[in-house]
Amino acid sequence: MSFAQSSLMPPFMRPPSRVAIVRSGSYDCDLGALLFTALREFDLPVRGKKVLLKPNFVEPDPEGVINTHPAVVGAVRETFLRLGAQSVRVGEGPAHERDTEGIVETLRLGDFLGPLRDLFVDLNLDEVHAINLRTRASKLKQIYFPRTVLEADYIVSLPKLKTHHWAGVTLSLKNMFGIVPGCCYGWPKNVLHWAGIAPSILDINSTVRPDFAIVDGIIGMEGNGPTQGSPKPSGVLILGDDPVAVDATCARVMGLVPERIDYLAKAGVLLGHLRPEKIRQLGESVASVRTPFAVLPAFQKLVAADAK
Amino acid sequence: METTAWALAALISPRPAPPPVEVCARARDWLLQAQRTDGSWPPFPGLPQGCWATSVASEALYLQGGAQKAVERGLHWLLHEWPAEGTVWRRLCHALFHSRVVGQDDSLRGWNWTPGTASWVEPTAHVLLFLRSLPPPMLPPLASKRRQLAERMLFDRMCPGGGWNSGNPLVYGVAGVPRLGPTAWALLALGGYAERTEIQRSLDWLEGVYHTIHGPASLALAHRCLTAYGRRVPPLAPALDELYSTNHFFDNVLTIAWVMLALNEGESGAAPSTGEAATR
Repeated sequence: MSFAQSSLMPPFMRPPSRVAIVRSGSYDCDLGALLFTALREFDLPVRGKKVLLKPNFVEPDPEGVINTHPAVVGAVRETFLRLGAQSVRVGEGPAHERDTEGIVETLRLGDFLGPLRDLFVDLNLDEVHAINLRTRASKLKQIYFPRTVLEADYIVSLPKLKTHHWAGVTLSLKNMFGIVPGCCYGWPKNVLHWAGIAPSILDINSTVRPDFAIVDGIIGMEGNGPTQGSPKPSGVLILGDDPVAVDATCARVMGLVPERIDYLAKAGVLLGHLRPEKIRQLGESVASVRTPFAVLPAFQKLVAADAK
Repeated sequence: METTAWALAALISPRPAPPPVEVCARARDWLLQAQRTDGSWPPFPGLPQGCWATSVASEALYLQGGAQKAVERGLHWLLHEWPAEGTVWRRLCHALFHSRVVGQDDSLRGWNWTPGTASWVEPTAHVLLFLRSLPPPMLPPLASKRRQLAERMLFDRMCPGGGWNSGNPLVYGVAGVPRLGPTAWALLALGGYAERTEIQRSLDWLEGVYHTIHGPASLALAHRCLTAYGRRVPPLAPALDELYSTNHFFDNVLTIAWVMLALNEGESGAAPSTGEAATR
């Protein structure tokens, strides 16, 4: 169960996390086969479960640079069904764009998933329930969350590998901003900015923690992300059972120091593992796929010394 | 809340068939029951805080008639709800730490999505449209002040090349990319400034992206906006048919309401005027 049953514990009490790096040079290859092979290693408890995939859909993007590629979403859905999931739905609540239907149609998501009417949920417009947050990193005590999220047995965060002009990077933890419903908070969900981006990321993920994360880094975005940066072909999918460890690994692949990323450093205290010795690396090594990302001047401090 | 308000607005908008009286009355009663004691409307009944839906609900009730007190209370709440970025403390922080990050004048305030947050383009536009729908005698002096401030805020938040995004036209010196929704709403709200270059440039942008629209809500909104300014656009109904043949649409009442408004205005010739109201 994803909601409110994940454990908040310091790293010394937490078992090691597992993160796999899978090479994939393009969206045209058999992503389903790649993911099935990689995910089988994790022996995930998804049989008979209601799985919710949370991609990062921001705005209409015919170039395929801003949003999680629909081929990845389709392949992940197919893989979880092969692993025995009872159902696999896709839900997203874009932050700035109210016309979610316009985004998914521009992406041609239906070409990869089939008819969307029963598969896709606009989390911005779903029925909501007030939930007390499990941590108090921000001043928020309660957030309204969509019913689809609260009723999911297993949540998979499916972000794009991108830099972000406010948070430094946007990966599987920041991606969870998209479960906060616009129908309660507007477009953008400005209440999260006023409560602090990093503290809000922590509070959301402590309360509705993704069970698994799969980052689309086949083509990422560097520079002025999350929407105005440059495409960065990185040729990887990075996945794991601890979103903090996945994000830390992504940061290392991007040539950044995860401990210097505000929200990630804080997430390493209670939400998951940051340190490489606590992350069991599967598939490719970080060094073999490392692709330093350009960052805005304000985030030069995040760049590892050997990536400058 | 917002969905019901838009649905009511669509049902009572001018069109050949008369509005379904009983349905409209139920929608009105539901909205009236959901109004908070401070005059605002929350996103959902029972939520402890008012929000942007107050402007849409107030306008729908005003246009339907028979709820004068509720409309006045909604107006009062809106006029006294100030976004949070304009306080002296926030402006000092902005000047010290953020002035080189986001290039905008935070002393110009419009309206926020939710209390305690900053001004954004779309909620500001909704309130301006509501104010425009009211007869001058209903508007207290504060309305004029806030309308002028909000209009200046919208012009300040315009993207450098025309059009609007949610409300950050310049971040780290990089020009923001306009988005369809905020651009259309801002243009509708700034209807009294049709001759200004910025407005025409924004209309050019909207016209340029019109053929790339894949969502019915955006298509209806863009059509409504361009028609209001007298721009030539292809008929809406065939374009919606074409979208429907490939998309089938989600079940989204708000989208249907926006589509109805656009279709009704097209049929009745009652496009929102661009020449009235706005106070210079």
